[in-house]
Order: sequence, then structure tokens, then C-alpha cells
Amino acid sequence: MPSTAFTTSGIGHAYGKIAALHSLDLDVPSGRIGLVGANGAGKSTLIKILLGILTPTTGTATVLGMDTRRDLVEMRSVIGYMPEGNCLPLDQTAADFLVYAAGTAGLPPRAARQRASEVLTLVGLDEERFRYIGDFSTGMKQRAKLAQAIVHDPKLVFLDEPTSGLDPSGRDEMLDLISRLGRFGIDVVVSSHVLRDIERTCDWVVMLDEGTLLDSLPIGGAAADDVVRVEVNEGSERIAASLRAAGADVEVDGDVLRVRHESIDVFDVIRDAAASSGTSLRRLGAGGATLEELFLQKGAAR
Amino acid sequence: MTDQAGAVYDLGYTPYEGERRGRAGARRTIFWDGVRRVLGIRRKARKKVLPWLLVGIASIPAVVFVGIAFFVPGQIADATPGPLAHAQFFGLGGTMVLLFTALSAPELLIPDRTDGVLSMLSSRPLTSGDYIATRFASLVAIILGFLLVPQLLLFIGQASTHRNGLFAGIVDSADVLPKIVVVAGIYTLAYVPLGFVVAGLAKRKAIASSIFLAGIFGLIALAELIVRNSTFAGGRWFALLSPVNTADASNFWVFGESNPDSLLQFANINPSIGLLALVVVGVLAVSFSVIRYRRLL
Repeated sequence: MPSTAFTTSGIGHAYGKIAALHSLDLDVPSGRIGLVGANGAGKSTLIKILLGILTPTTGTATVLGMDTRRDLVEMRSVIGYMPEGNCLPLDQTAADFLVYAAGTAGLPPRAARQRASEVLTLVGLDEERFRYIGDFSTGMKQRAKLAQAIVHDPKLVFLDEPTSGLDPSGRDEMLDLISRLGRFGIDVVVSSHVLRDIERTCDWVVMLDEGTLLDSLPIGGAAADDVVRVEVNEGSERIAASLRAAGADVEVDGDVLRVRHESIDVFDVIRDAAASSGTSLRRLGAGGATLEELFLQKGAAR
Repeated sequence: MTDQAGAVYDLGYTPYEGERRGRAGARRTIFWDGVRRVLGIRRKARKKVLPWLLVGIASIPAVVFVGIAFFVPGQIADATPGPLAHAQFFGLGGTMVLLFTALSAPELLIPDRTDGVLSMLSSRPLTSGDYIATRFASLVAIILGFLLVPQLLLFIGQASTHRNGLFAGIVDSADVLPKIVVVAGIYTLAYVPLGFVVAGLAKRKAIASSIFLAGIFGLIALAELIVRNSTFAGGRWFALLSPVNTADASNFWVFGESNPDSLLQFANINPSIGLLALVVVGVLAVSFSVIRYRRLL
């Protein structure tokens, strides 16, 4: 498998006189890649160029080492795509549509039926396979969209706003499914304006703002490795005092604490401090700055 | 204690390592999906009603003929070429074909656009040209089938009335078969391109069907009006405006019969020129659709 998911070289695109992307140079490694930016940042345009739907006004792009124009058919045979909008025929059952989706990827009929069945089970639609898609809830439609994107076992799958319209539990399940794709050996490009979703599922992030590249970097590298970020519901000073008593270096910023500690079991230290101070934690994770903070910093510096 | 080792397998996802038929497989899948979709196969019951009703209505004359031939053989035995000769039968079924095309073309193209299925297909080994060519092929196959089934029923019905039996009847009338196929192809070429272009542009199926029917009847009226009343040189060439008139004229021409009502005959235009015009229009229609779909897939 190539170690590069996709590259762009001087990619630009304009819709008439409105420029959507400005000369983007990217070299993004395989893995789980987040594509973040506000609405209109150029995320969907970049994905459409990488899928070969749009021809860039300037520059070239490759996906898994294949040129998106010259090697279009070969490239499309190893990718999947879950669009933000609808891509499901409402008058077909989920099973029939998945068989069709697998067939259009070139799978023979018997294999297509088997893959459809397996993938519907994977996304939790096995009980609903013979229901018409028009009768599905929003969450079920999102799962069916993900299923069609992976039914042919692509090497790389583009997910455009995969949690759009989902309730909190549906969102959790979708993010969990996306995280699992990486373990199945499928590279993922997730486009989202919800930075926490990207933070939770991806190991690399590409930040776009108004069609320009803010940064492209590993999410682990987006923050200091030796810092743990703690968010509490209340009582930040109480837990800070407990942590300091345990030998930690603590910075407090409202409900957010940044904790440094020599111990390799720093998370255990924080747990014990929370228990001893009676503080409830809202969030606990590596990194001194969230992706959101980093994105705002980069945007402000532009 | 046991020394048997246990293992837990996550069967949630299995990579696919089997055969991949690539572009050809994708095109085959889309072709058969088109056929099934138009006929309502593996769709809700209400999707099946209209196409099968039209197929039934188009086949009624042939079925009646075959029925009479079987159950009351003396009635038709000496009626060759019969009251429903193939050329006349093509003319008789013209309206049904028109309605079936008005139903089929939008069903093939519009839901894929409005339901967003095209975006799914943009991650499949296909180009926009593949998609359009395959959908066009589906439509051609469906309309050809719609035209041929009643004709073949009629052919077998007529052959079965032969005094020496069905086989002898088929052998005796075998020269008609290629003509049937050619004329079915001509009618297909007359109706499909316009229906395809309209379906590629309209946003709703009902609107596409209405525009197609209005267009066909409008072209017939316009061609008749201009050709039969024109006082200027070259006005007769407006007969080629109407694909229906061209197909009707070619139908009788292929079967070696004359049609005094034919607009092409009135305009003194050889049907072969009309056929050439149909081919050109067909090529233009597919080319236009390919260009239109470049930004969609």
C-alpha cells in the first residue's frame, strides 16, 4: 500500500469568478485524515477534485499514487465515497441497493450479494436490510451511506460530513465505525467542520480556510505530547490543588487544566486527584491545545 | 484446566479478495439495473403497474390474433398476410411506444440525479461517458424489446396458422424477421434520443414525460403544417423535423409497402435520408448528454 493517501500540487479551482481553492500543495500520508474548515473553506471542492468529478483550474492531484485525471478509472476502482448529501435511491431496499453498489464496483453478482450482507451487518442494518430506504430514519440512512462507501472494500474512503444530522448517540456510533475502518486497513479522509469529531477519529489533519491551506500535520503533533488536557464540570481549583499536591505542574484556564507530570501514569494521577477533590471530569485527553484552539490560532495568524 | 487454546475472531469485517470485473462489470450492472428499474422489478408494486400495463396493452392485438389462430383456426387460416400485417401493426403500436418511452427515459436518468446516486457512482470504475452510454443502451434495449415482443407474438401467431404447421409457417415467413428487427430499430432510434435528452435535463419525471410527449406531437404538427402549406423552396425538408413521420415512412418502406399518408412521400424525400437524419440526431443526443453529465459524475 502506498504510504501517501493523496497529494496535490498547485491545485486551484474556481466556480466562475469565485475561487474555491487557491494553489494547494499537499502530501498527506495514509491513515485516518481529517479535513477541517468552516463552511465554504473548500473541503467538498477538494474532495470532488480528488474523486475526479471536478477538473482543477490549475495543478494536479494524485490519490493512492494515481493521477486523478489520467488514471481516473483505476483510481476510482480503489476508493469509496460517502457524500454529505443523499446518495440513496428511496425506492430500493437496503440489500438491493448494496448489491447494486457492489456490482458497480465490478464485483460479480454472488460476491456482491455476500458483501452487501456482511457490510449491512457491520453498520448495524442487518435487521433492516429488506426495508425500503425511503422508510429509513436519518441515522439509518447515514449508515447505509457508509455501507455503500465500503461495500467493495476500497483502499481509501472519503467521508463528507458523516455525522451530519445525527443525534448524539448516532454520532457516537458513526465515529466509532469510522475509527474501526482504520483497523480494517481502509484509509479514511473525513471532512467535517466539527473539530472534535476529527480529533476523536483521525491521526492527521488538513486545515483549510477560505480555499487556502492553513496547515497539514499529525494530530499528535498538533499539541505537546507531555501535556494532558483536563476539562471539568466544576471545581477546577480544587482538582488543581490536588494535582499540585501530587507533584504535577498545572495551568488553569477556567474549566480547562493543562497538566504536566513526570509519572508515566499521569492519567492515574488525574483520576486520583479528581476522586480526592470530588471533581467531575468532562473530558480528558492528550495535548495542550485542542484542534479547535489550534485551528483558531492558525486562522488568526494567516 | 485444559491445554486447548482458544481464539476470538472479529468477524465484523472481512477484506474482499475475490474477482473484480472493473469497468466492464460496472457497466453490466448499470445496464441491467436500468432494465429492472424501468420494469419495476425489485421495486414497490406501484412501480410495476404502468410499465406492465403498457406492455400488456401493446401485446393485446397480437395475443388476440394468436388466440383466435389457436382456438378458431379456420377464421384466420387463409388470411395471410392478415389484417394485422407487421407494418400496420408497428403503426398501430406507435402510441404505446411513445408512452413507454415517455415513462422509461425519465425513470432511467432522473432518480439517479435527484437521489444523489451519481455521487456514489463517482467512486466506482466509471466515467460519465460510460454511465450515459450504458443508460442509453438500457433504454434502447427496453424500447426494442417493447416493440419486438408483440411483433414476435404476431409472427408466431401467423406462422401457426400455416396449413403445414408452425415450423413450416416460420420457414415460409422467415424473410419478415429481419425486417421486423430493422423497423423496431428505426422506431427506437426515432423516439429514444429525444426522450433521453429531455430526461437528462428535467428535474422531475412527470415534467420530462410531458415535455417529451409535447415535443413529439409538436414536431409532428409543425412538420405537417410547414410541409403541406409551404410556398417557399426547401420547405419540404421540414418533413425531417418529425422523427415519428420518418419512422412511419421508413416502416412501410422496409416492408415494401406504400403509405399514401406519409409526409415524407408527400415531400418527395427518400426514407433513407430520413434514417440518416435519425442517426445524426441520435449521435448528437448522446454527445450532448455526455457533455451535460461531465460535471455530475
